Formats: sequence, structure tokens, C-alpha cells
Amino acid sequence: MSDQTSTGAGKRFLGVRNPRDFWGGLVLLVVAVVALWATKDLSGMQGFAFGPGTAPRLFSVLLAICGAGIALIGLFTDGPDIEPYAYRGPALVVAAILIFALIVRPVGLVPASYLAFLIAIAGSREAKVVESLIAAAAMTAFCVALFYYGLGLPFQLWPRF
Amino acid sequence: MHDLIANLALGFSVAAQPQNLFFCLIGALVGTLVGVLPGIGTVATVAMLLTITFGLSPTSALIMLAGIYYGAQYGGSTTSVLVNIPGEAGSVVTCLDGHQMARQGRAGAALSIAAIGSFFAGTVSTVLVAALGAPLTSLALLFGPAEYFSLMVLGLIFAVVLARGSVLKAIAVILLGLLLSMVGSDLETGAGRMTFDWAELSDGIGFANVAMGLFGFAEIIRNLEMSDESREILNTKVTGLMPTRQDLIDSAPAIARGTILGSILGILPGGGAIVASFAAYTVEKRIAKDPSRFGRGAIEGVAAPESANNAAAQTSFIPLLTLGIPPNAVMALMVGAMTIQGIVPGPQVMTKQPELFWGMIASMWVGNLMLVIINLPLVGLWVSLLRVPYRLLFPSIVVFCCIGIYSVNNSPSDVIIAAVFGLIGYWMVKHDFEPAPMLLGFVLGPLMEENLRRAMLIARGDPTVFITRPISAGLIAVATVLLVLALLPTIRKRRDEVFVEEG
Amino acid sequence: MASLFKRVASKALLSVVAVGLTVSLAAGPAAAQDYPSRVITMIVPFAAGGPTDIIARIVSEHMARTLKQTVVVENVVGAGGTTGSTRAARATNDGYTIVMGHMGTHAASVALYPNLAYKPDADFEPIGLAAGTPILIVAKKDFPAKDLKEFVAYVKANTDKMNAAHAGVGSVSFTTCLLLNSVMQVKPIAVPFNGTGPALNALLGGQVDYMCDQIVNLVPHIQGGTIKAYAIGTAERNPALPNVPTSTEAGLPEFQASAWNALFAPKGTPKPIVDKLSAALDQALDDETVRKRLLDLGSDIPGKDRRGSQALATLVKSEIAKWTPIIKANVTN
Repeated sequence: MSDQTSTGAGKRFLGVRNPRDFWGGLVLLVVAVVALWATKDLSGMQGFAFGPGTAPRLFSVLLAICGAGIALIGLFTDGPDIEPYAYRGPALVVAAILIFALIVRPVGLVPASYLAFLIAIAGSREAKVVESLIAAAAMTAFCVALFYYGLGLPFQLWPRF
Repeated sequence: MHDLIANLALGFSVAAQPQNLFFCLIGALVGTLVGVLPGIGTVATVAMLLTITFGLSPTSALIMLAGIYYGAQYGGSTTSVLVNIPGEAGSVVTCLDGHQMARQGRAGAALSIAAIGSFFAGTVSTVLVAALGAPLTSLALLFGPAEYFSLMVLGLIFAVVLARGSVLKAIAVILLGLLLSMVGSDLETGAGRMTFDWAELSDGIGFANVAMGLFGFAEIIRNLEMSDESREILNTKVTGLMPTRQDLIDSAPAIARGTILGSILGILPGGGAIVASFAAYTVEKRIAKDPSRFGRGAIEGVAAPESANNAAAQTSFIPLLTLGIPPNAVMALMVGAMTIQGIVPGPQVMTKQPELFWGMIASMWVGNLMLVIINLPLVGLWVSLLRVPYRLLFPSIVVFCCIGIYSVNNSPSDVIIAAVFGLIGYWMVKHDFEPAPMLLGFVLGPLMEENLRRAMLIARGDPTVFITRPISAGLIAVATVLLVLALLPTIRKRRDEVFVEEG
Repeated sequence: MASLFKRVASKALLSVVAVGLTVSLAAGPAAAQDYPSRVITMIVPFAAGGPTDIIARIVSEHMARTLKQTVVVENVVGAGGTTGSTRAARATNDGYTIVMGHMGTHAASVALYPNLAYKPDADFEPIGLAAGTPILIVAKKDFPAKDLKEFVAYVKANTDKMNAAHAGVGSVSFTTCLLLNSVMQVKPIAVPFNGTGPALNALLGGQVDYMCDQIVNLVPHIQGGTIKAYAIGTAERNPALPNVPTSTEAGLPEFQASAWNALFAPKGTPKPIVDKLSAALDQALDDETVRKRLLDLGSDIPGKDRRGSQALATLVKSEIAKWTPIIKANVTN
């Protein structure tokens, strides 16, 4: 991992010499522009008093400048390639979290935790089916014991019919 | 001096009463639990327990609530070290080196040094509160909006300095954090800012959601990429639980410096305590012979901020006890607890209710002692958690965090926000942006904006106010010097920094 | 071995599911006569530890005993208390979510927030007035005025230099300061703080000149001489501060302000449930310990004639009428 700088510049998109910084800076620039657009209706300075839009726009502009700067430096100086993104891990972990968020209200804590555990564990290539099923049940039981009984948090455990 | 000893003796005689010891222990235990559990914040817990305190004597009630407060500060660092999830804003920087130490099998040493450092800091700052509480109050009153704004600027410069790579990129992520902190209703007008008409965003984005996503979830996603054998290090080579002799020698001065910094900054009610831990980290990194060790498991990087954190937690009681002004949300709850009990917090508490005042101060030290007693044996338990195979540990952390975040507001959208920040954190790693400065920007953003707006109103729009008021000017000067020092090496030897090692 | 595990695990799971089913079915829908059969949530739209929160906790603790059910205080902070009130307005109207609204959330908000998501007088079932807190006019300790008359004259003569602190738009200190400034016919710079604590800190430190605030946390500082009190906006002097004249005595009779706090349920909450809550609140306000606690805070406990749903409904209407013109004249949004 330490020798990424040596990658040939020829293979790179549009001759970008430091794609990691170039694309990173560009995304920040886009975020700043989106923030500017999102705050366009907020009132700004009234005399010397700040309006609600003043600080967000100020920081957006500064972020745009920094983002552009990072991208430009990335264009003209050599740097490492972007490490390849993995898909399986991020996708399944995020899916587990999202599934939990979406189903915890309608079906309750127990099925949501169990399912989220199983989806998350599939993100690892070493997952074993039986072990996963048991571990998911154990973890669910532990969480119910801790959060519901131990801390007395008002969760709904099971689906309501 | 004689008075101090007499007062402390009175305090300890109160704190040592069995029921006060008991509630101190309960507070410390609940606090540790709250700190370790994701999402469940101190504020929510203290709010939940506030009604219970009706039935207790005022002293016991406050001793218990105070125990929860510093117990949580303590517990928050445990998750930082073990699973890279900062429980409180103050333990963000503990993640940087603490979790690296855990990855190198030195979680035990990291947790122990955090406990030892915190105890030392707690002892010193308790004496400080007792001896100098009243005179130090005037320091808090010297800080107006302009000074707080300058303090926040200095805080953000600390965030730049503690970053490892490019200064420009650190500044960029801080700005991103500042921008994200502005999502939600405007404090002054109530206008929705960048909420995209999503009602859930009108209250802003919660710290716990961002911290858990950016640190916890992103770390998991990142770990899943690693090959089996490189992750084995995580599981097998857990070396000794206690710090080595060398660790202690390395940490001792860091603990002392962290304690001093934390004690001073903790007195300032408008966010001083938040700045304390990363001020301490930055100082250690700046004066270290080899700053490149930081972020790769330097024990000073755990010892200093943890000591500062705990010292600040203690001295932040000064404005509460002497002015009746709560410096943060937890303290505001304690003011509530006092008021419910019929005690109006303020300067007269010290003279009218010396048992309460000194009892509480003495109980801080007792509480810190209890925390060490509770936490040192727990270190073994925590470390053994890391022996659970990672393929089972990570889905457990995911589920645990989901439930924790959800429990804060019973809000599924909070969980979704954390997932989004998990992806943002993953993206940041891929593009070599550091999450810690962003989180610090996120935490300091609202304080910075509010104080800037206030300062400009009071100065009638004259920006020179930040350099004509002496304290403010001093803070700005320190910030400038630090920024220049941070920029110099980048300009001189930017090539050296290219191979920033990851995991 | 593995298959055995699987069978045992799935059997255990099935039985757990079965138990869960019976439990959730047995719960059934709650009826008004069983009310309250589970925990009641009292939303306080302000930070815990503040004046409204303290009153809510004192009152709710006694109400819980009357209702024989836990009452949980939940602090939902934001946008001058309207975030929490909006949540309460949208909550299920089964009596298990109620809100401790106050002068700001259920009167001043109408004029302050053009896009307010609820109508204080239409989207709630009023339960009853809980307690009020008198408002004081206070200034930094070296403010050059002996009494309220001099204060008014000084503020008028030096309006350009004045900084009036308040605890955030929509807070009690904000609206009552508007009232004060409008009766004094001045428009000084209003410096917003995030709550009364920081505002008081700035006043103690002399960063700002004056403010209006609820009596609760001011008493020790006035007694200690670290801030000056010029008048109290109630009809009578307060026992906690017998030396502070009323605004009428001091020559500014138009300044009448007390921050009232009152309980509301979401619109459509069944009448029997509202009545039950109203009766529980009434009992709490008659309890000796509760009264002592409230009076210690300097609060003003409503007499029998000002209690109950009807009286509160009338109060909300009159307060909206009182504050709307003052705010409209001073705030543009």
C-alpha cells in the first residue's frame, strides 16, 4: 500500500495526476454548491446583524474554495490512485442499518435486530450459516435484556397485529 | 489553607456517609454504563433520573447526578478505544490513538492509562475546585462573545494541527463539519436551514448519529475490506492488560499537561470543556520529538486528552457552584435538580449550605476513585470482548449501535442519518480525508456561529473587536502561530507526507 | 450436532414468537375508562432544568401519584419551544402524550413563526394552567440608574449604545423584552443567547446592559448585588424579593408580564381523559408540598377561578391577542 505513487500517469482519467485528491476536492466543491443552493432563500446580513443564511453561505464559499484548491492541486501534482471501493461489505452493512431503521417501528425490536444482524454478518466473507443464526439470536436476546428490561426503554418488541 | 483543609474535612465527612457513598457508586456505575452504551446520552439519562431525585436528600441527589456526569465522560472513552466510537465530544480524539493501540493489541494499556490519567486529573482538579473555585469564577466572567468566538477559532486550529495529512484537506473537512452543524433551525429566527423540507432535520443532526456513522460504521465497513490475516491481528495478539513501565514514563508528563489544560479550559462555560481534550492532544503532538507517531497508537495521544477531558469535567462545576450558571446541558439539569429541591444555585450556596457544597466537591474525588475501582477490573472484560471473532463482533456492534441511536429519540431517521454518515466516513477514508477534524468542526460550529453573531451585534459590526479585546487577541494570536507552524512543514516537506499509512 | 442446534434454536424462537404474540394481542386498544394504563409522556418543549421544566417536573410528580401511572418528562428542545409543541400537536390523541406549553409556545409563537405547524387555540385540548413565573427587569451591576424611572430615561437617551440580552427568539425573555422596549418606545440591539444561563452569564460579566427574565435564577444574584433589579411585572411584590418594586409602583404600569405555563393535550383527546388530567393537575396545585416548592421558586400559583380547561382556553385567546401586535411591530419575518 505504501508504493501507490508509482502508478503510471498514462492510465488515469483525463491525465489527472492525483485522482484521490482530485475527485475528493471535486465532491466537496459539489457539496458546497448544493449547500449554497439550499440556503439561497435564507436572509443574509441585515446591516451588521447576521441573518440565518450568512454563516452557511460563508462556510459554503470557503468550502468551495478549498474543494477547488484540493482538486486543482490534485490535477497538477502526483499522488496515489483511489483505493478500490469494496461493494459487498459497505452494501450489506448499510443495508442492515437501513433495514433496521425501516422495520423497527412496524415489526418491533426483536425481528429488526435479528434481521439486521443476519444481513450485516453476510457482509463478511467468513460468515457461517448456523453460527450466524445462533449468534444473531444471542445478540438479539442480549439487546432485549439490556435495553428493554435493563434500561426500561419503551421499545415495542414484537409486531403489532 | 487552614480553611481549605477544614472545608475539605467537612466535605469528606459528608461524602463518606453511607448513603452518599452509595449514590456516588450508583452514579459512577450508571455513568460508566451510559458512556459505554452507544447513543444513550448523559443528558437523556440525567433527565430520566431527575424525577427520581425528588425522594433523595439534595446532597445525595447531586452527588449521584455528578457521578453520572463524570462516569459517562469516562465510559465514553472505553468505546473510543475498543470500537472507535466516541461516546462524547470529549472522547473524539481518544479514538485517534486509542483505537490504533487496540488494533495493535494494546487495548488494555490504552484503557488503563485512560483510567489512571483520568484519576490523576480528577484528583488535581478536585483540589483546584476546592481551593480556587471562587477566585477562578472571575475568569468565566471575563469571557464574552468575542472571546468565545476566538476560543472556537483556536479550537478549530487545534483540529487542523491534530490532522495527519494535508492542511488544506483538514481545513476543508472542518468547513464541511461546520456546514453540517448548521443544518436545522436557526437559533435566532427559527428558519429551517438546509433541511430540504425534511421534518426530521429541523432539529439538526445529532452528534451521536454523526459520531457513530463517521467513526463506528465507517470503521466496520473499512475492516470488512481487509484480508483475513491482517485482521487476525485484531483478534489474537492482545498483549498485557496493564501499561508497561515505559508507557507510564511516556504518559506521566502528558497526563500532567493534559490536567493543567483541562482544568483551565473547563472553567469556561461556553464550550471550554469540549476544546480541552483536543487542545491537550494538539499540545502533545506539537511538542513530541516524533509527531508522526500520533495517530498510530501513541500512548500520550490517549493519556493527555483523557486527563484533560476529566479535569475539565471537574472544573466545569466551578461556574455551576459559584455562579449557578450551567456550562452545559448536564449541568443545566443539575441546576434543575437543585431548584426542584428548593435550593437556588448561586454564590450563596457555598456559605449557606456548606455541607452540600463541600460534600459535592469531596464526592467528586470519591467518585473518581470509584471509577478507577470499577473500571480497572473491567479493562480485562472489555479487552476480552476483542477476542470475539471479528465476523461475530462487527454485526453485534452494528445492531447495538442501531438500537442505541434509535433509542435516543425513537426516531428511525436518526438511524438512517448514521448510515449515511457511515458511507461518508468510508468515502473520506478512500480520499484520505480525516473524520476527526470534521467532527470537531461539527461540534464547535454552532458555538462559533452564535458567538460570532453576538459579538458582531454587540460591537455594532466592527470586526476589530476580536483583536482589540486583550483575551480575544491573545487567543487569536495563539491560533495564528499554531496555524503557521502547521503550514510550515507542509510547505517544506509535503512530499514526505504522501505515504500516509492506513491500517 | 449442528442440526440439533438448529432445531433447538428454531423451536426456542417459535415459542418466543408465540409468547410475544399473546402478549401483544392481550394488550388491545386502550379505552378511556382504563386510562391511564401505560406511561404518560409529558413533553416539555424546553431544556431540562429551565423554569418550565422545573414546574413540569414538580407538577407531574404529583399528577403521577394521583393518576397511579408514571409520567415521563421528555424535553424536546428547538425553535423557541415550537418543535416540541408541534410534536405534541401531531401526537396520537389518546392522552398518553401531553405538553407543558407556555406563553411563548402557545401565544407569542403565532406572530413569531408565520409557518407555525399548529394553532395554539385550535390544535390542542387545554387541560389547565399550571403556574406562572413573574418577570423582572434586570441590568448589569454598574448600570447608571437608581430606579426604574432613571433606567427608562437612560435607555431612551442611550438607545444606540444599549445591548438587551434575551434567551433566544420565542423565549419568555425575548417576548417580555419586546414588551418592555415597546412601552419604553425604544429599539435597542437585541443580543440572542442560547438559553437564560448564558444570557445571565453575559449580564453578570457586563457584556450586555439589561434583560427581562423570569425570577427563578435571578434571586441570588440580585441579593448578592451582582446584578440590579428595577421592577417586577406583577400586581404585587414578590416575597422572595420584597425590595423590588412592582412596575406600577415604579412608574411603568404598562409592563405587566408573567410567564404562564399550562398543560395541553392534542386536539381530539377524549373529554373524559382531559377531565381526568385536569383534575389531577388541580389536585397537584392544592398539595402543600407542591405549593411550597412552586412558591420557593417565586412562582405564581393560579387560584381556583383561573384553573381548568375553560379558563385556559380563554387565556390562550387573550394572550394571542396581547402579544401578536407587539411582536408584529418589532419582528419582521
